[in-house]
Amino acid sequence: MNLGVIAAITRKDVIDAIRNRYLLTALMTPLFVAILFRVLLPGINKSDLLKVVVHDSGNSTLISEMRKVPQIGIVDAGSAEATESEVQKRNAIGGLVVPVNFDSDVAAGKQPELKIYVNNKKSVFEQMGFRRLLDQQVRALVKTPEPARFTWIDVDKEASKQSPGGLGLEQMLLPLLLIMTLGMIGAMVVPLLLVEEKEKRTLDFLLASPASLKEIIAGKALTGVGYTVLIAGLLLVVNRQLIGNWPLVVLTILLGLVFVVAVGVFMGSLLNNTMQVNTWAGTVLIVLMAPSFPSLGLPAALDTAMRFVPTYYLTEALKMSLAGNVTSTIWRHLGVLVACSLIAFVAAVWALRRRQLV
Amino acid sequence: MNAIEVEQLSRSFNGLQAVKSISFTVEAGEIFGFLGHNGAGKTTTIRMLSGQLLPTSGSARVAGCDVITEQQKLKPLIGVVSEHQNLYERMSGRENLEFAVRLYGQSLSRIDETLEQVALLDRAKDNVRGYSNGMKQRLVIARALLHRPQIIFLDEPTRGLDPVVGREIRQLILGLAQQGVTIFLTTHYMEEADQLCGRVAFLSEGRIVALDTPNNLKVAHGEKAVKVTLNDGQSLSIALTDPDAGQQLEKLINDGQVRTMHSAEATLEQVFLQIAGRELSE
Repeated sequence: MNLGVIAAITRKDVIDAIRNRYLLTALMTPLFVAILFRVLLPGINKSDLLKVVVHDSGNSTLISEMRKVPQIGIVDAGSAEATESEVQKRNAIGGLVVPVNFDSDVAAGKQPELKIYVNNKKSVFEQMGFRRLLDQQVRALVKTPEPARFTWIDVDKEASKQSPGGLGLEQMLLPLLLIMTLGMIGAMVVPLLLVEEKEKRTLDFLLASPASLKEIIAGKALTGVGYTVLIAGLLLVVNRQLIGNWPLVVLTILLGLVFVVAVGVFMGSLLNNTMQVNTWAGTVLIVLMAPSFPSLGLPAALDTAMRFVPTYYLTEALKMSLAGNVTSTIWRHLGVLVACSLIAFVAAVWALRRRQLV
Repeated sequence: MNAIEVEQLSRSFNGLQAVKSISFTVEAGEIFGFLGHNGAGKTTTIRMLSGQLLPTSGSARVAGCDVITEQQKLKPLIGVVSEHQNLYERMSGRENLEFAVRLYGQSLSRIDETLEQVALLDRAKDNVRGYSNGMKQRLVIARALLHRPQIIFLDEPTRGLDPVVGREIRQLILGLAQQGVTIFLTTHYMEEADQLCGRVAFLSEGRIVALDTPNNLKVAHGEKAVKVTLNDGQSLSIALTDPDAGQQLEKLINDGQVRTMHSAEATLEQVFLQIAGRELSE
């Protein structure tokens, strides 16, 4: 590999991409969405703790794990009955009543009931964040799809006016924006960079120059990496207060980047023109981003289907690393992501050979 | 010394043979014409000889490099002008050349020199999208010349250009040949090949069906006749194969009826039609 050639291609693409309205749109969308949310919902800048009132007389693993999450502040309720009133009194996002034998019942597959109070005075985003968080925490306990039965109880049903602010939205929004950035790179930027060279026949010039196909692909991939580092970096720096474990967040994004670049090379090899990329990019982007959408109340089948999308593992790993929640689960997620990246790269090489580009 | 040596070179695409066992050599400094109808295999041959495409069978050496095993060594020694004006249109002329200079590891100072050579220096900062066809073609040629290649492959370099620009490009090609650059030229324009090329090869259905100097081909395959224009404006064609041709001509001259008389030399187009059995433009 000639690094000078790769650098020349990357330099050219970085400059040229800014002048390409499709690429510029793809690159700017995550930043635009971030700005839009901040303008429309200024409260998301706040970094309050997600206050949760808990009655856990059995000292369950669930609550002890939740206590480790930096963004959650646990407040102990004196009794199960007092939980609801404590939620209102302390203006918490919600409350949780954990049965005495919760751990053993979960282990036995008995699906014990978890009584959950949700404070309707809080914003819908905070409520969704709370619901999602609980769902994750409980699922993290055992591998079965439904370890416990959730009974959701609304606190202050009459509360119609949503108070702005609070944590929750950014907990969902930041992973969503990061996945959107990666998705744009994989579904739009890298394929467009490759397809344009084919469409405009400049690939013939490149292939006749000292650049090999590997160097051309590497140059394109590096452009994608560069733009991701820039945009994801901006998103992370702006939301730095939300980052629980920087090294793990960076590692997760880099592994995600490897995956989406492979997807981009695969798409770029199969497709022939900008029109085709624009047609397919939307679908691919939706599939890649689907696991990162706030998804409470999804049917079990759809929730299970999400697990077949590689970005599900990226999303989960991102959420966990952002929350500073370092457990064996995150390594399992990252492992799946690496495996998916390998498969995507094999597919990309196959597609390149199929199109007789190598 | 041969700049290009091709031996039994073939290429298939999904079972369809685009180039069928062609063999030829091109001498260093020669302008070699590679002529054929659309789909005859000209571009495929150029792509194989310039290291962009691997042959299915056969071998070729270009600038002393094996096109199969020494592609990376070969590429800095050759320049390729594609049949398409494959420029980065959102970039300026200078930026296009800067990119090429970086790919070839050349000095940036070559850019102005080359732009001047193709008379584009004053428009170098303009976006390529605003260039005329002729300007784009000159820029494509400039890009191929930046690294001072030993051999330059020109695929239809004057197609779609107006006659003035076409003539400028031909002058440029002749100038390069005078500097010792070997030119491998494909073209649809037979007059262009006739004017520029030392030798031409006719390619039909992936095979070389004739290879010689344009003159030899015209003599060998052209009509053996004399065209006579009489004083009264009438034109006659006297076939030299006719045993009475000598007597006929003698009589016309003696009678003082001849205004002009010249050999009825065939054009390369006619020779191609005769050999390949189809029009070049088909």
